[in-house]
Amino acid sequence: MKNATNDNAASAYADQELLRSVEQSGAGFRVASTLLLLVLLAGWLLFSRQLLYGMGVTGLNQPVVWGFYIVNFVFFIGISHAGTLISAILRLSNAEWRRPITRMAEVITVVVLAIGGFHPVLDLGRPDRMLNIFTAGRLQSPLLWDVSSITAYFMASTVYLYIPMIPDIALLRDRGTWPHWFYTFLAWGWQGTPRQRKVLDRAVGIMMVLVIPVAISVHTVISYIFAMTLQPGWHSTIFGPYFVVGAIFSGIAALLVVMIVLRRIYHLERYLKQVHFDHLSKLLLVMSLLWFYFTFSEYLTAFFGHEPTEMRVFFHKFLGPYAIFFWGMVACNFLIPVGILSFRRTRTIPGILVASCAVVVGMWLERLNIVVPSLANPRLPYPTGFYFPSLVEWAMFAGGIATFILGFVVFARFFPLISIWEIREGREHSIPETTERLQGYLPDPEPGGTPVSAGR
Amino acid sequence: MDSSSRPGWIFVLQLASIAWMWIFVLGISYWIIHLNRLSRQLHDVPSATVGISLVAIPVFWTVGLVLTYVFVGLRRGGSGDGAGEADTREDRP
Repeated sequence: MKNATNDNAASAYADQELLRSVEQSGAGFRVASTLLLLVLLAGWLLFSRQLLYGMGVTGLNQPVVWGFYIVNFVFFIGISHAGTLISAILRLSNAEWRRPITRMAEVITVVVLAIGGFHPVLDLGRPDRMLNIFTAGRLQSPLLWDVSSITAYFMASTVYLYIPMIPDIALLRDRGTWPHWFYTFLAWGWQGTPRQRKVLDRAVGIMMVLVIPVAISVHTVISYIFAMTLQPGWHSTIFGPYFVVGAIFSGIAALLVVMIVLRRIYHLERYLKQVHFDHLSKLLLVMSLLWFYFTFSEYLTAFFGHEPTEMRVFFHKFLGPYAIFFWGMVACNFLIPVGILSFRRTRTIPGILVASCAVVVGMWLERLNIVVPSLANPRLPYPTGFYFPSLVEWAMFAGGIATFILGFVVFARFFPLISIWEIREGREHSIPETTERLQGYLPDPEPGGTPVSAGR
Repeated sequence: MDSSSRPGWIFVLQLASIAWMWIFVLGISYWIIHLNRLSRQLHDVPSATVGISLVAIPVFWTVGLVLTYVFVGLRRGGSGDGAGEADTREDRP
């Protein structure tokens, strides 16, 4: 057993950097996790005021009954599309450059889904009433569709993250990494036999196909929370695809930010190369143009209809109190990324980081622009509402971000951030497979014909 | 922690995790069916309830079945007990 363990351990020397965060975590991990836990704790302490005194401690009021909690809910769930969807599409399309990216993308999904899914509970004046959905939920409500779809997506994403991790977990088990029992438990007796490989291959294949429609359905259903009402600015047929596009857009941006930061912290420069950032940033550029197209269509239709209630929301965003957020959103989601990513000279890693951070901020502003102005200008004859988030809401927002970072810090402490077996598979098998695939794309030689080179 | 006793209790833990996962899947399925029946009693819109039930329940079951397939397949596909007895250095599924 010892020899086998040593053999397996020896094979990991080539990718030693990938195990450094697991096997050599030191003071950095403890300091970072303590600081993040303190931020989280501060958030919960402030939130306890909401539990004690009710929703009055938030900035919510009539008619603006949804604020930061719902904005952050839509925002975090949107970011979750980074992961599984991008990873599944890249795996499905056999994109070879995916290998160092997929795991980070999948971790983002699981972490932000847990954070985002919790936000509607925060938004309840009485969180214990959440239990009512189990006994007296009404399936005709899009809110309940959300509960079903987010739960399904969370379960599918967690399984989709876990299954491809099994060979790497077994590697840690065989290296005797602490906590050994934990890796033995999670490895499920993985030994890398042909039969086990076949089982895992098949399972990953099923999951990557399953997870794509589930991911798309989640953000479509979230858009239905808004679109199924008759509120001005929300009742739109394109909200489903608009939300999905926005979600993939913010997801790619978040993935790029995470990749750049982790590359720096864990010295992953040998794995996350310029080419990976280049491909993903081009995808981000395409999504930016697509996002602009949807935004333009959405507002142009509303403007041409010129319905009075719609126009109140329209002007509230374009020229009113929300103009700074609206135009900030346009700058962050369109002008900055397109300006930076369209040119090779500026499409450097620092440039991509600036563009990606801008998109993350811009997409958060977009969620704010969707949620608040429509509620502030309802169809019913209310005076125009006003919303300013309270300290409790800001604290929970900071807590959400701290949880996101903490999720990555803890994950990196126990698991490799880049899939080791996928990297090895790429080295050993991808070049002949890719060559064969490329030859398959080219036209077959004519039967009995002269090869082109010979003709020349 | 006694090394010789480890596989035994870890195996029990693994079985418990499968059981827990299936309790979750069956619980969700039961919950959706319950809501479906409730919507019929209350004369709610039937299309949404039926649609959600048709889509959500199979998704949970598929994920549950895939995970069970992996767990059972890996246990049966190994050449021995498994834990720490790697017979190959390739970690490619």
